[in-house]
Amino acid sequence: MLIREILALIAFFSATVFGLAGLIGLFRFPDPYSRMQSGGLCGTTAIFSTFIGALLLAPSLIIALRIVIIMVFFLISAPTGSYIVARFIWQAGTPTWNPRKRKSSRDQRQEEP
Amino acid sequence: MSAILLGYMQWFLVFCGSVCIIRLIAGPTAADRLVALNILSGVTLGFLVVRGLAEQRALYLDVALVYDIFGFLGFMAIARFLKDSFSKEEQ
Repeated sequence: MLIREILALIAFFSATVFGLAGLIGLFRFPDPYSRMQSGGLCGTTAIFSTFIGALLLAPSLIIALRIVIIMVFFLISAPTGSYIVARFIWQAGTPTWNPRKRKSSRDQRQEEP
Repeated sequence: MSAILLGYMQWFLVFCGSVCIIRLIAGPTAADRLVALNILSGVTLGFLVVRGLAEQRALYLDVALVYDIFGFLGFMAIARFLKDSFSKEEQ
């Protein structure tokens, strides 16, 4: 029982790290595409680590089987949802972030031959 | 120790969900709102699973599975609706 709790602690710790990184990226990244990438970090990796920790802490076989079914369905639905969001953003004509626009004119002059 | 872990994870997922709600309200475009909604759906699913495990009741896990299925369908409907409205604006 103690080994299971230590493994669950590791899983929850990784969920915390990935979730915080995803939330920081959700507010710091410049355009919706990169925000979706970091949001996928928070929405898929952190949640899946949470599921693994919950599976290690499951008290009975019934609850463990239900968590496994939820994990399988989550592996199907979460990437599909991200794909739908990406296609929607792309078809809506959202421009990608171009870092060269924010450079000073000196840098642009140096790039030209 | 198990109760402490599950209680901590519930509070962390509630924190993640509230931050996503801030992004959902303050997002400048509809694309940012959709991204935040996608994350919020997964965070709510994880919260339901951890809550059901902390309460030792399998009913919450059934609720979580059905929430995932219907949340996915509703999400597809929202994306389709927003895409139609965008294409009408362009024409």
